[in-house]
Amino acid sequence: MTETDKAKSGKATSEKATSEKAQSGTQDMLRAPAEVKYAEELDYLESVDDGPKPFTWRLSPKMVRAFILGSERADGLDREIPQKWFGDRTFVERSIVTLASDRGLLLIGDPGTGKSWLAELLAAAVCRNSTLVVQGTAGTTEDHIKYSWNVSMVIAKGQSRESLIPSPIMTAMEGGVVGRFEELTRSTSDVQDALISILSEKYVSIPELDDDNIVFAKPGFSIIATANSRDRGVNDLSSALKRRFNFVRIPVVTNKKSEAEIVRFRTTELLRRHRIELEVPPTLLDILLQSFADLRTASAAATSDDERLESALSTAEQIGVLEDAILHSRFFGDDTLRATTLASSLVGSLARRSPEDLAILNKFWHGVVEGRSKKEGGEWQGFLEGGREAIATLS
Amino acid sequence: MTPATDTSADMGTATPDAQDGTFAALRGQLRDAAERFAEAPGAAADILAGMVDDVDRALAEELEIFPVCHHSPASALAMARRLREKRPKVVYLELCEDMRPLLDELRNCRLPVALQAFASDVQGFDPEWAPLSVVAPITEASAEYQAIAYALETPGVELVAVDWSTDHVFQWEESDPAARRTAADPDAAAASRPGDEEDSEEDGESALHGDAVGIELGDLRPGFAELEEYLLHHGRVRHWSEWWDQYVEQPLSGAGYDAYRQAMLLVGSLFRRLRDTGDLRRSEERERFMWTRMRQHLAASELDAGDALYVCGALHAASRVEQFGARSDAPYEIAERTGTRWLHGLIPSSHSAIEAQFGLARGSVSIAAATWEKALKRSGVAPFRLAGQKGTSRKAPKAAPVSDAPAEDRLSGFLTTPPEPGVLDEQELLTWAVDIVRLARRNGYMASTADAIAVVETSVLLAGVRGRNRPTPYDFQDAAITCIEKDTVPGRRDVRRLCEILLGGDRVGQVGYAALPPLAQNVLDRLEPLGVDLTKRTVQRALLDLRSEPRLQACSDVLWILHRMLPDGIVRPIMGSRRLGERSVQESWDLSLGRDQRWLVELGYEGVTIEQVLEQRLRKIAWAPDATASAALGAVEDALVLLGNRRFVDELGARAVELLSAERTVDDAPDVLKRVRRLLAHYRASEPELPAWCKEFVTEGYAHYCTLLPTAFTEDETGVRQVAAMLGFLFGMESLALSLGCDHAQLEIAVAQSHPEAPAKVALLWAARVQLGVLSRSDLRERCDEMLGNPLVVPAFPHYLSGFVHALEPVPTFAPFVVEVMSKAFGSLPDHLLLPWLPRLVMTLREHAAELVPVLTREAGRTFPGSLPALDAWTPPWEAVRPREPDSRAGVPSAPSGPVAELLAAHPAACDAAAALFGLDPVWQAAPAGPASASSAASELLGRHPDAAGALAALLTR
Repeated sequence: MTETDKAKSGKATSEKATSEKAQSGTQDMLRAPAEVKYAEELDYLESVDDGPKPFTWRLSPKMVRAFILGSERADGLDREIPQKWFGDRTFVERSIVTLASDRGLLLIGDPGTGKSWLAELLAAAVCRNSTLVVQGTAGTTEDHIKYSWNVSMVIAKGQSRESLIPSPIMTAMEGGVVGRFEELTRSTSDVQDALISILSEKYVSIPELDDDNIVFAKPGFSIIATANSRDRGVNDLSSALKRRFNFVRIPVVTNKKSEAEIVRFRTTELLRRHRIELEVPPTLLDILLQSFADLRTASAAATSDDERLESALSTAEQIGVLEDAILHSRFFGDDTLRATTLASSLVGSLARRSPEDLAILNKFWHGVVEGRSKKEGGEWQGFLEGGREAIATLS
Repeated sequence: MTPATDTSADMGTATPDAQDGTFAALRGQLRDAAERFAEAPGAAADILAGMVDDVDRALAEELEIFPVCHHSPASALAMARRLREKRPKVVYLELCEDMRPLLDELRNCRLPVALQAFASDVQGFDPEWAPLSVVAPITEASAEYQAIAYALETPGVELVAVDWSTDHVFQWEESDPAARRTAADPDAAAASRPGDEEDSEEDGESALHGDAVGIELGDLRPGFAELEEYLLHHGRVRHWSEWWDQYVEQPLSGAGYDAYRQAMLLVGSLFRRLRDTGDLRRSEERERFMWTRMRQHLAASELDAGDALYVCGALHAASRVEQFGARSDAPYEIAERTGTRWLHGLIPSSHSAIEAQFGLARGSVSIAAATWEKALKRSGVAPFRLAGQKGTSRKAPKAAPVSDAPAEDRLSGFLTTPPEPGVLDEQELLTWAVDIVRLARRNGYMASTADAIAVVETSVLLAGVRGRNRPTPYDFQDAAITCIEKDTVPGRRDVRRLCEILLGGDRVGQVGYAALPPLAQNVLDRLEPLGVDLTKRTVQRALLDLRSEPRLQACSDVLWILHRMLPDGIVRPIMGSRRLGERSVQESWDLSLGRDQRWLVELGYEGVTIEQVLEQRLRKIAWAPDATASAALGAVEDALVLLGNRRFVDELGARAVELLSAERTVDDAPDVLKRVRRLLAHYRASEPELPAWCKEFVTEGYAHYCTLLPTAFTEDETGVRQVAAMLGFLFGMESLALSLGCDHAQLEIAVAQSHPEAPAKVALLWAARVQLGVLSRSDLRERCDEMLGNPLVVPAFPHYLSGFVHALEPVPTFAPFVVEVMSKAFGSLPDHLLLPWLPRLVMTLREHAAELVPVLTREAGRTFPGSLPALDAWTPPWEAVRPREPDSRAGVPSAPSGPVAELLAAHPAACDAAAALFGLDPVWQAAPAGPASASSAASELLGRHPDAAGALAALLTR
């Protein structure tokens, strides 16, 4: 079997698997990958896409953008594509363009800013496969990036292509698709450096084999890595690796309007996943957003780490709080989301260190929430009560 | 589809009709479109159809209207072309009419500069607004500059500014309080609009306009934030400048005149119709004014309206006021100006200052300038330029032959086809990519040729994603950031900033010598002998050796005055100082007058010479409604040091006396004391007699502070420091005051009347009584010891100690006692009292370091042993003295001893005579027997070992 044949068959199998997955629907999966979840949307976009496509991309860059950021009238589509990632348009454009170029894409930002979600969406839109992921940890080895051996098969048959277990990145190279590397800076420098040759020479050699010992990357191969800016200094990227990546920095969303959109979007999705029918009252969403905004301001003004909450106060954190509150009301409450529940969820999620975080929250509750409840009343009063109780319970 | 492409496409097909002046087809199309979108004929249809009416109306006007937009190279290009074709005899400009004379001075300047109108003396407006300042920046890449250059360089052409005068601008503001600030400066209000929020790295250059209100020709921007946001979102651009560049500027840059004019009119009309009413009212008022002025001018000059060109913002072109049109006869009453006296001048401006003031995206004016240069090269249009204009090193491109044939209709052609990517752009992109990498390397980035290649590739890809045929500077900027910016910024500038620098950078203008106000010219003339080029934008170092070159003294005087009046850092002395009684023989200065021209120009509004301005300012300080004696004394000092004008100094001094006697608080007492001490020292050293005002100040002060002393002691609001300063004045100036006829009894009574309660003030009072001889030191010592022994009072003891420390100022001889008390306190106070108090003591001492610390340390040095071993054998002097203190009569000093006393005792005649003269009966105390005890040890030693003394004597007598 020639290289290309193999690649074709590989692609065919992976596609088949994807479509099967899609067919079986998202029923059997707790969380379906983006290409399965939005399979129908992607099919539609592919059918109407007449723009130039780089390499083996399934969609043209414009359509990738439309898929991620939602369609606009100017795109001339006859159905609406909802927005899936919320943030500055430029970031998405720059990311897409980087994937079409020779370099890898490194999404960098605070935890919870949507880096991984963007990476997943990009991979799903570009090559319909977002599951070729290497998770970077302190224990990640070079084998996870290149290949490893099926030991029993090696004993039985010796080292051959059959007994080789390719890593997700190698699979991506063979298939000419996008591989993902999560938390790049968590893995050690030697592992990171293994990426350098992959990104520049675009092949992996297998010295153990006598022939057929080089795996070349097919056109369309690229890497999306994510890195947490809070981890800076743990395993700094070497300048050689930096040079091979284009950095796109994703900032924490501070615009209240888009943050509300994100929280609403993600929560709806989560609710659907849990099959919960529960209304999130807009006033409560406002309270949540406002509290986070206030906490962020306080955090920015604090002078030492002890006066700052350990949490990054990201959008993902808000979604977590809301999800927690919803689940709580669903299973232990009366199926209605109440301000008190929201408050105790918020306190519960943010109070990680005792007594520092509790002290900050206590101060926040008395200084800010109390003031707001006096001024604005309404749900804020319940929020005040619930938070107080939760703080009292925890301390 | 975006509104802009929408209208353009429709217009493209409607052009043939437009040529005939009828827009029936276009109108129909727009109405159809409106119905299609809104699904019913209504407001949208009215607006769209109205827009066409507006265009129709403006085109039909006999007086040719030239709609422009600010910082638009396309406008400038179209203007240059049109002026060469039409050669109008008069150009009407939308510019404050009172700024017209300034335009003639532009040829002495390097652009960008700003025309400024300035008024510090405000009449008819809210006095709180003063000083009023209005700036109108002018850049080279603008249509107005083309019009100005054409009109000024072509003989027989008149240039008339027809807009509101600056006075009218503020009149409108006052009549419409809701619109204050925002009305006079719609762009400043727009600074916070979405899409403009760039990171605010403050540059010196962006603050060039100070806090002036900005006005600009051709403000063209949606009136609503929502509309703008909509346009930006659907146009897929980040900020307004980019939108304009992409959807109006680029398509129009190669367009014919008619296409340009119609498109601009249409856009102007659209924004005008979607503007909020307050804004619209203001625009209409201005239009009435402008049309009336133009008609007046046409009538007076008997010119044909067809020979004129009216240059105005596109927003004003499609006006619907009844005064519109050269033939209109609708009356309009032009309001009288107020009594405010406006002064006019040119100040340097910069691209970043313009961007900051008018809320434009950073780098947009620079990009416009770069586009203008490029457009000139590509189109071959010869721009107009004022003769002698500075900063025009580049040669103007050859003029293309101008045909006299009527402009061809190219509207439909270019609006329906995208602009062709020039070969130049490809080359330019490559150059930019190479340059940005070089620049990034120089700024610490690890960028290489591979990055340059990636930048080019990414720019092209980005342009593709954004639906553009070729990358715009904005795409290039994004690409450079993507490829070069990593997780940290290694140097001072990030890639975004580097791109801005690359794409033209900031250009800073300069006002030429001839265009400067007389004061600035005078200053530059007087600084000529320094031999330093003050027009340079860098900091210049001037060295003055006043001993070898006395003629530089005059320069030094000028520099010190400028140093006093200009903000910090513009004229900065590095070496040398000038204070009362101090003059340097050598000075060195850092001068940045070239960079900070604006301040010098604004100084020029205040007077003709710097001396006059300084005099005015000092006078203003001394006669301000809230002036204080200390401020007046400060003015006296400045006048003495910088002006040396005796009459003026005396006048200020007299004013200080007046202010002092009227003062009811003693807050400034420390300052007053410090200053008057300095002045007295100066006069004593330099003049045979104190000036009259000085004497008066001392006597007045003596009486004044005596009167206020009892209240100051008891009042809580008055601090210890103030009371100490009052006492300092009273004790320090006492001899002088008494010689001038004051009465010592006044002070004694004042002290007797004082009954403070605060411990610190009580301690101060005790010190005063000791000084007056009412209380003996031994009594005071006992009192202090008692307090230290009494556990109930001990907690308050530190407060007393603070009072004693403050007493050092009025009673310097008190120092040994303060050292003593302090040592005791350190020795006996418990830690929980001592430790909290120590920081406060340190703070007090630090605050008054100059006055208190030297006295205290000197005394402490004298009291304590100098080495550690000596400490063991050391007994504090107060403990050694204490048992032997013979003081029986409080207040009477013991007879002094020493050679002076001996001499006087030996020859008592002179003292007796003096005492008789004062009407006293001289009584001589018996001097202590024998030689002074202190020296007895020394004489004993010498007696035992006489050799050294003998040798010394032999040496001296040889």
